[in-house]
Amino acid sequence: MVNQTDIIKSTIILRAMLPVMKILVSDDKKMNAKFSGLNAKVQFKAKNDNDETGACLIFKEGNLEIEQRICSNPDIEFTFSDIIKMNDFFCGKPVLPKISGWLNFFLLVKIFFLLFGMKILMPDSRPNTPEKKRLKVKMSFYMITTALSQYNKAGDSEMVKWTKKQPDRIYQISVDEDIAAYLRIKAGKSKAGRGTYTKKRPFVHLKFNGVDGAFPVVMNDVDMVTAVRNGLLVIEGSPEYGRDLGDFMVRIQNMLV
Amino acid sequence: MSEGLTWTVYDANTMTQAEIYGKVLCEIGKKNEKIVGLSADLAKSTKIGLFAEKFPERFFNVGIAEQNLFGIAAGLAKSGLIPFVSTMAVFTSMRACEQVRTDICYQNLNCKIIATHAGTSFGQAGTTHHCTEDIAIMRSFANMTVIVPADGIETANAIKACVDYPGPVYIRIGRGFEPKFYDNEDYGFEIGKAITLVDGSDITLICCGTTVLQAVEAARHLKENDDLSVRVLNLHTIKPIDKDAIYEAVCETRRIITFEDHNTIGGLGSAVADIIAESGKGCAFEKVGIPDCFCIVGYPDDLQNYYKLDSDGIIEKVRIVMGKDFEEDDDWEDEV
Repeated sequence: MVNQTDIIKSTIILRAMLPVMKILVSDDKKMNAKFSGLNAKVQFKAKNDNDETGACLIFKEGNLEIEQRICSNPDIEFTFSDIIKMNDFFCGKPVLPKISGWLNFFLLVKIFFLLFGMKILMPDSRPNTPEKKRLKVKMSFYMITTALSQYNKAGDSEMVKWTKKQPDRIYQISVDEDIAAYLRIKAGKSKAGRGTYTKKRPFVHLKFNGVDGAFPVVMNDVDMVTAVRNGLLVIEGSPEYGRDLGDFMVRIQNMLV
Repeated sequence: MSEGLTWTVYDANTMTQAEIYGKVLCEIGKKNEKIVGLSADLAKSTKIGLFAEKFPERFFNVGIAEQNLFGIAAGLAKSGLIPFVSTMAVFTSMRACEQVRTDICYQNLNCKIIATHAGTSFGQAGTTHHCTEDIAIMRSFANMTVIVPADGIETANAIKACVDYPGPVYIRIGRGFEPKFYDNEDYGFEIGKAITLVDGSDITLICCGTTVLQAVEAARHLKENDDLSVRVLNLHTIKPIDKDAIYEAVCETRRIITFEDHNTIGGLGSAVADIIAESGKGCAFEKVGIPDCFCIVGYPDDLQNYYKLDSDGIIEKVRIVMGKDFEEDDDWEDEV
């Protein structure tokens, strides 16, 4: 039986986790080469009561866009009998969806390769090259900021209560010039953004000391307090709200693993 | 009615702007023989009388003749002295307006004007003694520096700093009942540099004079009760204005309210509005002060409450401005 948590989880997977595939395709050299010049549509969908929910991966000349809809005439289609199974599939559990489009076998292989690449987000995935570490950090922060916003938009009662009482505020995460993401909150509304928000000073700013500072935190090797103490992280702004944000991150992570 | 209300505060000597001004002037007068004092029959009320008692040969009471007061001060400055001129703000800025402008500012003379009883600080005395237009008038004069200290300690700092500051300086103080804000003089006062009293990122309150204390109190309340991160700037120097501090407040908080014991036309709020407009950035903004009217008559505390210049009024205004947008605000789609 699908419950509210399952729905929130699927929302986060489709709207926060899947979109970071774009980073994998653009930033990972091997992956980029694999999809170079590709034009294709790949649909992931699940039945949800009498409706269907899903996201479509659209490759145009090798560039990936994710659209939150059921697209027409996909080259490959992954169909799950319900959103619980779809959630499990993306969280790395052994679930076999119905796959149509076997004729596009080479595309299917590439998609499996891409899905396998997404395992880098799993807590137990510990990349050891600087490039892969960087990729994991970037994907994780991009995903978590969107996940936080989606968690609010999906209506988690605690998160809604937290965002509703806040005026226009920015929660910024920055690692270096290339890796930065933020969450904007205003009276119950939320928006995840990429890069540095320049229109206002962040209310809370998590400044990581480069990828080497962020990686141990992403891997849960150290908690935030230890990270600050060890000089891996500087937190500027409200400590109480920074802690609250951290708590929501942990809740989302626990939901996904 | 108002005559009996002089220096009733339990320790007026340490608290009042005017009292401290008189003492500091004596101190610096001892070190610098070029300093002379002038008043127009208000030596006692403006506290320059302390200087007169200490240095009678360097003090000139010109009688009730304010135009003459500033003309004489200009002559003394022209001869190389540093005149400190004290009378009520309303007489300085309006009765002697032309002399201040043409005799002093036009010649860029080293004349220091200490204008007392400014704003609504003598509210019970009625419209003839209210002075809610002086900042607008004085800051429009070329060469003039305009300072509005937050309390007696800041007045002391301003007096000391202006001695070596070239050109005419207008220091605007109250009648003498203003509460103390700073504990000591060592907080980094510098003419033209705003002081960040409370840091915050949700909204900035820019204040001068007596509203500074009220704004800090309001910021504390808003933090505790509304969970708001409120920045408070003491913009003691209205001219030359600290553009950097205002620009930073625009960029970092995007919401600004100014509070001043002055008309909202031409004073602190207008000066800040100029900088906001120059910045080209979106900013929710409101000026709070005496609106476009003659101030009602009453005690200063009651007037501050009436015109939303006390902490309750400031809190009310902050809550209103927090609800305003500083830009088009309809895109809440996550970037992916």
